[in-house]
Amino acid sequence: MNLGEFEQVVLLAVLRLGEHAYAIPIREEIEQRTGRSVARGALYTALERLEGKHCLRSRMSDPLPERGGRSRRYFAVTATGMAAIRASRRNLLKMWQGLESRLES
Amino acid sequence: MTPSKSAPPRLAERLLATALGDGDWSETILGDLYEEHALRSNSSQSRASSWYWRQACRLSVGGILARVRRHRESRLTRDLPSLPSRPPGDTLMRTLGLESRYAVRSILKRPALSAIVVFTLALGLGANASIFSMFDALVLRPFTMKDVDRITLVSFTTRDDENRREALSPGNYLDLRKQSGAFEHLAAFQWWTANLVGRDQPETVQGFFVTTDFFAVLGVQPAAGRAFLPEEETIGSERRVVIGHGLWERRFASDPAIVGQSIGVDGEQYEVVGIAPPGFEFPMGAQVWAPMTFSAEAAANRRSQYITAIGRLAPGRTLDDAKAQMAVAGEQLVRDHPETNRNREVRVFTIGDGMMDIGLMPILSMWQASAFFVLLIACANVASLLLARGAERNREMAIRLAIGASRGRVVRELLLESIVLALIAVPAALAVAWVSLKLVVGYMPAKIVKYVAGWNQMDVDVRLVGFTAGLALLTAIVFGLVPALQASRSRMSEALKDGARGATAGASRLRLRRGLVVGEIALALPLLVAATLSVLTVRQFLNGPQGFNPDGLLTMRLQLPDARYKKPETQSRFAHDVVERLRALPGVQTAAAINVMPASDNNWGRSIEIDGKPNPDPSNPPSVDYRAATPDFLAALQTPIKSGRTFTELDREDTQPVVIVNEALARKYWPNENPVGKRMRIDKEPWMTVVGTCGDHIHGWFERRNYPTLYRPFRQAPTQTMALAVRTSGDSTAIAAAARGALRAVDPEQPVFDVQSMRQSLHDRTIGLQYIGGIMFVFGGLALLLAVVGVYGVMAFMVAQRTHEIGVRMALGATRQDVLRLTVRQTGSLTAIGVALGVVLSVLLGRMIEAALFGLASNDVRITGGLAAVLITAALLAGYVPARRAASIEPTVALRGE
Repeated sequence: MNLGEFEQVVLLAVLRLGEHAYAIPIREEIEQRTGRSVARGALYTALERLEGKHCLRSRMSDPLPERGGRSRRYFAVTATGMAAIRASRRNLLKMWQGLESRLES
Repeated sequence: MTPSKSAPPRLAERLLATALGDGDWSETILGDLYEEHALRSNSSQSRASSWYWRQACRLSVGGILARVRRHRESRLTRDLPSLPSRPPGDTLMRTLGLESRYAVRSILKRPALSAIVVFTLALGLGANASIFSMFDALVLRPFTMKDVDRITLVSFTTRDDENRREALSPGNYLDLRKQSGAFEHLAAFQWWTANLVGRDQPETVQGFFVTTDFFAVLGVQPAAGRAFLPEEETIGSERRVVIGHGLWERRFASDPAIVGQSIGVDGEQYEVVGIAPPGFEFPMGAQVWAPMTFSAEAAANRRSQYITAIGRLAPGRTLDDAKAQMAVAGEQLVRDHPETNRNREVRVFTIGDGMMDIGLMPILSMWQASAFFVLLIACANVASLLLARGAERNREMAIRLAIGASRGRVVRELLLESIVLALIAVPAALAVAWVSLKLVVGYMPAKIVKYVAGWNQMDVDVRLVGFTAGLALLTAIVFGLVPALQASRSRMSEALKDGARGATAGASRLRLRRGLVVGEIALALPLLVAATLSVLTVRQFLNGPQGFNPDGLLTMRLQLPDARYKKPETQSRFAHDVVERLRALPGVQTAAAINVMPASDNNWGRSIEIDGKPNPDPSNPPSVDYRAATPDFLAALQTPIKSGRTFTELDREDTQPVVIVNEALARKYWPNENPVGKRMRIDKEPWMTVVGTCGDHIHGWFERRNYPTLYRPFRQAPTQTMALAVRTSGDSTAIAAAARGALRAVDPEQPVFDVQSMRQSLHDRTIGLQYIGGIMFVFGGLALLLAVVGVYGVMAFMVAQRTHEIGVRMALGATRQDVLRLTVRQTGSLTAIGVALGVVLSVLLGRMIEAALFGLASNDVRITGGLAAVLITAALLAGYVPARRAASIEPTVALRGE
């Protein structure tokens, strides 16, 4: 399975956050680490697509007062998602081999 | 942090929820935004809500697109195998879906045209939305009390006086209350000008004396403390107040310990028993309420009508039950006390109807009618643009019809396009409404707002969104149907011919567009007439003669409390001392005191009897406006003495009672006679001799213009209600502080209110007129603008279509003048027909405006004629631009064209 660059970033952010991964911290995590701003719409689209590809699964929390009585949607990376992200890491690393000296400056 | 404080804007949230549809994702996104909004609102509430709006708008668009995508994907996978056995209902939905997408694409293909259409519609819809919001807030839902339709207002008046709301005497009220089984409670309230002292500067606030069940009738619980107890209606235990929430925050620094303490009101100590809930200011911006008591003397009083009664219907009883029961009780009152109650009848209203300003309906209906005219003009413009567009798409339509599209489908598609356009205009229209409502609400002075229940509730809310969307749909059908039908009539042969030759293109289309121009002009003229009439009236009442000189005049009001000023001598002394001190201030020419200042919002009237002219109906004596003034009053206002003399210091309590009458009174009661030396009296008081006549004043533009008025020397008729007039040589407001100081020197505990220039009073007093004038001016301007744009559009289109023909004419020897004349003549004839129809409509709208302005303005031929000339000139100019282009066409270019 091929993952887009943003999809990889999102999967990695979910992995980093562990059991606290829902949209708000995911977005903050990406923004802090990469220093680029993330549109909410784009993030939701990516999350939905990743779930559709079975790379992510989600569960709804109990309703919370700080959300006006709505639930949080927590994400976790599935086995499929892990496999996909490993594969893309492997592929990228293969492509990097021998170029580090020229590109890392 | 309370949940309500951190909740995001409701409208934005609802919008987003609608866009996202149902499901987990909707809940996820709404919840995330809620959470982030709460965090942001910790630093700035307003910035957080504007942030929320931005996110909601962005995510709504994204949400809709995602739904479309999901829908398409699911349909592709679902529909493909089952294509042959598709149920019929699905076909329609699918077709509609396809067609909507086609419509959106077609709109996006012509962004400039679409933008003009949306802009025009936004103006028309926005005007209607603004007026609807006013109507909704002021007429449909002015009061926000619980079960407001169970609350009623009871009056007992004669037929000519049926709009009076202070409609009961204490005696009549107490009798009605005994027979009020249809009501849970029948409460009463009475105007009270309350002077607060202690803790801060002395201050006059709006108060009401109320019966102890007043709050129960309205279903209101105090925010702190309690409402009144039944025993507090008795004399001796009535010194209690409930204070308004705003007053509590402002004057008492939101101190909860104030409940149970005493405060100084009118020179007495009152115990604060409760604090009203936030926002409760019924009636008329009330800030303090105290129990009303009925002394034996008051209970026997059936002559003075100063009480307003409100009742809550008992469970299971209807308004009709209450009307029937009160009618019987009323008849009984008439039989028992014919001398005061003759011809009176009981009326029971819902509180909304009862408290509504009678001037409101004609004004609002005139505005709504005008806004509707503006919308019609906008529709005509849009229809005209779409017809022009239809001409361009003639070929496309003809081909589609020729290869088998049904007419219905073509009409439906074009109508859908119109509907999508109209719906795009809805948010823009709401923005227009939002801005105009902000202006409308903000311009009203706070001291007037309290008289207009519901004024501050005008806002863009869900109801307004619904109204605007509904109106937009209706509008789309109005402006879209004719062009759509027209387009569906395209014939292959004609269309191809038209396209090839471009000479007689769309003759019937052009006819229709000309018809629309005629319609626009016919609608614009009456709006211009109405706007001009309103503006002229406002100017006249703001700047025209008032009967006195309002420049350089400072006025202020005060109410002397019973505790220290019950005796007439104390009132006279106070007036005398204050006037003397004011007069001594530098820059002051003269000063005077009177009970009621011209152009203020209060008034006194008394019944009179003329010596030697007994009134034929003694139970209904004529009433005139009543004034008691210190000697220099007329001089201070620069109101001329027309005959006889003015008052002097020699008119004292121990000298002969004298009176000055204004010319209106003299004309009415002594026509063709000199009133000086004649006698009149009030009720059964001693006769007063007329010593002079003076000029008339405009007290109020509504019904107090040059009204019969009598003036008595203040020393012979002192009052506790007092207004001061200070004539200055320069800017009157510059001495306001010194004038307050002069007052403090006489009595440091006496508060004064409405300290302002007479110009300001006039401004406040004519605020209603200014609204009428301002709003009508905007509508008139819009109408003129839209009509001129419409004329330009049609003429430009016509010239473009006839380029070829014009080229032929010029090649055959027509001069530029001929071409110019041909085009201008067309504009002229269209405009002339429009104006002729417009004159007829002007007469109709003119009647409405006469009603709205209470006959202050009347339509006259010169105004209509002048405006018709303006409109014709504007239209000719709009037509002239394309005409010149036509005349400057090179024949060779024109013939080569296409």
